[in-house]
Amino acid sequence: MWNYDFIMEFISSVLRMSTPLILVGMAAVIGAKANILCVAYEGMMLFAALGGVMGSAYSQNLFVGILCGLAASVAVAAIFAYFVLYLDAKPLLTGLALNMLATGGTVYVVYLLTGMKQNTSNLMSLKFPVVHIPLIEDIPVLGDIVSGHNLMIYLAFISVVLVWFMIHKTRLGLRIQAVGRNPDAAASVGINVRKTKFIACILSGILAAFGGMYLSMGYLPYFTTGMAAGRGFIAIAAQNMGVGNPILTMIFSIMFGFAMAVGNVAQSFRLPSQFASMAPYLLTIVSMWVMGAVARRKNKKLGTVKL
Amino acid sequence: MRKLEPMNKSQQIERRFSVLRTVLAIVISMAIAFILIVTVSDNPGKDFMTLLTGPLRNTSNLTAIISKMIPLLFTGTAICLVNSAGQINIAAEGAFFGGAVAATAVAIIPGIPSMIHIPLCILAGALAGSIVMGIPGILHVRYNAVTIVVALMINYVALYLGMYVILNPLRDPAAGFEASYQFAQSARLPYLFGNSRLHIGLLFGIAAVVIGYVVLYHTGFGLSARTVGKNQKFGTYSGMPVGKTIVGISVLAGALAGVGGTVETLGNYQRFMYGGFTNHGWDGVMLAVLCHNKPHYMPLAALFLAYIRTSADALNFTSNIPPEIINVIQAVIIILVAAERFLAGWEHKAIVGSTKRAMKAEGSAE
Repeated sequence: MWNYDFIMEFISSVLRMSTPLILVGMAAVIGAKANILCVAYEGMMLFAALGGVMGSAYSQNLFVGILCGLAASVAVAAIFAYFVLYLDAKPLLTGLALNMLATGGTVYVVYLLTGMKQNTSNLMSLKFPVVHIPLIEDIPVLGDIVSGHNLMIYLAFISVVLVWFMIHKTRLGLRIQAVGRNPDAAASVGINVRKTKFIACILSGILAAFGGMYLSMGYLPYFTTGMAAGRGFIAIAAQNMGVGNPILTMIFSIMFGFAMAVGNVAQSFRLPSQFASMAPYLLTIVSMWVMGAVARRKNKKLGTVKL
Repeated sequence: MRKLEPMNKSQQIERRFSVLRTVLAIVISMAIAFILIVTVSDNPGKDFMTLLTGPLRNTSNLTAIISKMIPLLFTGTAICLVNSAGQINIAAEGAFFGGAVAATAVAIIPGIPSMIHIPLCILAGALAGSIVMGIPGILHVRYNAVTIVVALMINYVALYLGMYVILNPLRDPAAGFEASYQFAQSARLPYLFGNSRLHIGLLFGIAAVVIGYVVLYHTGFGLSARTVGKNQKFGTYSGMPVGKTIVGISVLAGALAGVGGTVETLGNYQRFMYGGFTNHGWDGVMLAVLCHNKPHYMPLAALFLAYIRTSADALNFTSNIPPEIINVIQAVIIILVAAERFLAGWEHKAIVGSTKRAMKAEGSAE
């Protein structure tokens, strides 16, 4: 069991599981920085996954597919932002409703366009290419680990750097942070709070779109109904564990991806996979408990504990 | 009293607009449903009528509406309780699932008289549910954890732990598929009227709504919960036991959701058959927001949701249309009802107009 191929396959499985979580986790980081309680990532992923498949299947052009996927996800993000920011809808409810819209809406579109109800396996949709990095792929072990993955896996890691840079080093990122921390203070220095939050939502939509498209154009070669399978929520959890820091969020996304991969291996060996699947969630709760207890003890020493 | 009149009038207008918004949301979503059906159906007229009136056409569909309502009454009321205390505790999903698993573990024990067996199952369900929903409350109060995150996590923990229990110690190898041992006959809920397929869980569901309403609106505990929900600092400064209130209401809500899982399982099935989340918890979140967290509106909201779900089943039965389309309708209704400023321009104009008229009338009277 513990031979070289198995270990390499496992590492690549962890990467495949982590990729959508990292991308959507970055979407959640931007949402959190702007202090928007968005749970609509599930819906954005589903629509993007379907949009990418449909666009690429009918045009036979990967670029058109990506544009369709992006447009679908950004549309969800824009509806969310418009209703929450301009019509005062409750964010939690709007997010849940949009997820529901996506569950129903994607099934409808699939049925309308292909006559199938479960998936689009009868369409000739395109996949993101596999990247072989020259030179590095010839290095013995490292080459097998680093090279030969789906393009989106590399983009996921690049997105972490981009999001970090955007948040900390650009005008827009600093504005998003200002709006998230104290909207009144931001408004008093002339920042348009609603507009900035709207832009943050759209950026989240773009990142979530890539997470969704990876599912139907990389992880699997077609769209199946409900394929987001709770990943949008797990990404929110990873973001919360990472306290809004892109790098930490990435680490926790990989932790969740690792646990999913272990669960799959356990299942294929007919072992109870539930404990592996449960581990990251349990770990999250326990670590929140421990972090809270440490903070509480510190506060107690300072004599500021209430309750 | 006359001085107060314009204000009452504007409150009336506000209420009227809130009704109008709901009606308009339903009309718009039905229009969207019609368009969706026209595009995929061979016989749109017939299918659209099925969507509107399908649930009313025979008694078995009528029974289906009521039995779909039952679990929603529990999870909806549970979320009303925690929402009122300002807790975004969406662990009702896990509490419902956990309650069903715990009840199963008790229900498969043979040789207990029915009078004791059913209450024991309910107790087990309530206990499991209150643990699941209580943990996010406790972690929030004592360790300042973000409730929604802990709640999201605990849902999955309850799911996987529950699946482990069902598929390992409680699995019936003779079943031929992944399910628990059969429930003892003494643990199954009796039907309300003869063979109507409508089990006594309905009575428990109504009781849950009543408990939720009485606790929130007719006890001191409920008053503190609502105060804490509106303004936690005010609660603290006026000496309310904020922490205890939040934990108490989370535990009570969890118990209700857990009993919901118990009742749904023991009333409808012969063994535990769920393979994943049942979505009753998410439905509860939606219903609670539609009801503005007031449990006494819950039966109406649950009836509505159960009605369109039964429509979807009827549609699935009589046509080729994928029943998931109903999700779109549901989503549109919820988004429009939730959008507080939808029609706000109109509402504002109506209020200003009526106030102006009232002021003019007062001026000419003097």
